[in-house]
Amino acid sequence: MKKVSLNGLIGGTLIAILLITAAIGLVWTPFDPMKLSFTARLAAPSDAHLLGTDEFGRDVLSRLMIGARASVWIGVLTVGFATICGTLIGLVSGYARGWVDGVIMAVNNALLAFPGILLALGLLAVFGANQYGIIFALGIAYTPSMARVVRGAVLSLREREFVEASRVMGNGELFTMFRHILPNCLAPITVLATSMFGWAILSESALSFLGLGVPPPAPTWGNMLAAGRPFIEQAVWLGLFPGLCIALTLLGINLLGDALRDRLDPRMRGLK
Amino acid sequence: MTVDTLLTVRGLTLEVARSGHKVVNDISFDIAAGEIFGIVGESGSGKTLATRALIALLPPAIKVVGGAVRYKGRDVLTMKDRDLRRLRGAEVGVVFQEPMTSLNPSMTIGRQLEEGLVLHTKLSPDKRRARILEMLRRVGIRDPEGALASYPHEFSGGMRQRIMLASVMLLKPALLIADEPTTALDAVIQRDVMELMVELTRAEGTAVLLISHDLPMVARYTSRIVVMEKGAIVEAGRTEDLLEAPQHPYTKKLLSSLPFRGEPRSIDTAKAPMVSARDIVVDYAGRKSLLKKAAAKRALHGVSIDIHEGEVVALVGGSGSGKTTLGRTIAGLVKESGGRIQFQGRSRDEEWQDYRLNCQMVFQDPYSSLDPRMTILALVEEALRLVPGLDAAAKRKRALETLEEVGLNADYASRYPHELSGGQRQRVAIARAIARRPRFLIADEPVSALDVTVRAQVLALFSDLQKRYGFSCLFISHDLGVVEQVADRVVVMQDGRIIEEGDRDTIFDSPKEAYTRRLLSAIPALDQNARGGVSLKWRLEN
Repeated sequence: MKKVSLNGLIGGTLIAILLITAAIGLVWTPFDPMKLSFTARLAAPSDAHLLGTDEFGRDVLSRLMIGARASVWIGVLTVGFATICGTLIGLVSGYARGWVDGVIMAVNNALLAFPGILLALGLLAVFGANQYGIIFALGIAYTPSMARVVRGAVLSLREREFVEASRVMGNGELFTMFRHILPNCLAPITVLATSMFGWAILSESALSFLGLGVPPPAPTWGNMLAAGRPFIEQAVWLGLFPGLCIALTLLGINLLGDALRDRLDPRMRGLK
Repeated sequence: MTVDTLLTVRGLTLEVARSGHKVVNDISFDIAAGEIFGIVGESGSGKTLATRALIALLPPAIKVVGGAVRYKGRDVLTMKDRDLRRLRGAEVGVVFQEPMTSLNPSMTIGRQLEEGLVLHTKLSPDKRRARILEMLRRVGIRDPEGALASYPHEFSGGMRQRIMLASVMLLKPALLIADEPTTALDAVIQRDVMELMVELTRAEGTAVLLISHDLPMVARYTSRIVVMEKGAIVEAGRTEDLLEAPQHPYTKKLLSSLPFRGEPRSIDTAKAPMVSARDIVVDYAGRKSLLKKAAAKRALHGVSIDIHEGEVVALVGGSGSGKTTLGRTIAGLVKESGGRIQFQGRSRDEEWQDYRLNCQMVFQDPYSSLDPRMTILALVEEALRLVPGLDAAAKRKRALETLEEVGLNADYASRYPHELSGGQRQRVAIARAIARRPRFLIADEPVSALDVTVRAQVLALFSDLQKRYGFSCLFISHDLGVVEQVADRVVVMQDGRIIEEGDRDTIFDSPKEAYTRRLLSAIPALDQNARGGVSLKWRLEN
């Protein structure tokens, strides 16, 4: 009965490949990702450089492997930050209602009114442009949408009879919140968190593109994509491979997220 | 086949397209012009799907695999879409169960009623308007002119069902299919709507196909019925004969499941009451907005009620009477704005811990009262979490014992609520409530969502447990049949006030208030006979 879904299998495989590649990248890469070589600038993919070289003659595969670490790290921490903060804020807001909800949602809506990237830009100016600055800035920028989704779920859940039943049993508010309400919010949280992972990697590329991301020469998928743009006609692999990496990772995360959501929900178990 | 046969169904068989599972199996019946024909069955019996097939409105997952449906001699199942559209509405009208969702909330009543006339007749706008107004007047809408420009949400459930009926009868169809037309309404309104439907269809000579799980109602209005179980017709015949002397075991079971009056019990009411609520006032705060503040709505106007040790007190009334609010207030889910509640002679609020341990509640909807992410065992164990003096092992043991007591063996312990049927879920809810051995139980419509036979089983379980543990119970219900079976004392509420109370036999046999009489006369009394059948008669009808 415990059959792994096709989605889960594909998603899991993609993410496993990503993680293994990132892990290998920590100890070994085919070439030194930072080493410049003016003899091999913009070399097409070949036996020596499987995915070609960039405009400074650095090996694209090696840089992708190192970049995977930075991108995944930024993605995971950003999503983790936004999910934890957003869920807590949403839970409190939806469960307390009244003026607490009013104040929280007013601030939340004000933050939501800014485009995420603009908000992140502003915050980056405060935190400074480095890896943790990005994580903080994007995390804060994504928190409001998570808070909003969780609040909505909580508002409808708290009117359900099993929440009232919990009150009649004499359970405290915190217990009810974490035992009954939070687990039932997991579906929307998982869905939003997985798509957020995608936004985070893309926003990191956008910020890197604007020169506010992880500073060069350290590679991330985002700044590699950005760096490849001017050479798109001569060396399509510069943009293609980082782009492909981002796309496949997002696909993997989304598939895995769907499978995870179904797995976490007892109602979906044993179907089929 | 007689001359005036309107609709003929022969060997109709439907199955789920993907799995080949038969949902309706070889059913046949005829409906004569102008008659009222009933289909009775519990949920899952296929009665709704069978009637959907009559107008070729099956959901895509269901397909017809055999049989024929003939309407006035024409085969419906092979009809072209264009002809079908002409058939639906103009020839065969349908009234659905849920008046909340069968009217379009974003269209005015006038436009919705006009739709059918525009589609199926060639009347001028003025004539259409005149006909709509006349029909609205006939279904008892007080201000027909005003109603035309109103939206569905401005009407109550009963009024909406009247409007729905008006919209169908405007076209003077030859057959009206009514699928559980009054299930969502309370008893008094149920009867009004049914009477109206019968009156209108009789005047127009329209035949009615009435589908319901409510046996007494079907028995009251139909001339012939078929009983369906698991997709097949198990018994058919003239309504009176069939009820009087049922042949098939399922029909007998169905009839014996109807609630009947239990033996009166003697309750010691001389002692101080276990729960005593005095002058309870509950106001629901009005909606505040930037510009205006709506006035608070008073749900309870100083209500007092006593429940004695071991007594089952039934709280009855129509929807909006405040009976649920009173129950929830006593349970502590709603804060009262005035009055006081005492438990075993002491103030409830001062002895809150004690009260919480001793007062439990069973909710109406077994689908939403159990946390879908917890196993059955965890659900029952949770009720014991705050009980002092029990270690984890003892709690588990008690939880399993309690499940056993409600008829769910250890196999069910590790299952999740969605794997259980409605009746089984309500058993879990009852187990959860009694696991603590409470002194006082509040049951808010505990069997309303259940099928007839399941309802009988759950009620039997409830009485059984009540006898064993002797808890007091506030039993909230709009179903007087059920109340008659379980209650020792009956309290009638209307518009947030208690209008009459007394022991069960007094209330049921000689009510004083006009509203109580109306409530009672809306449902039939049952006399069970030796052949396993019943005869129905209306209460207080002279």
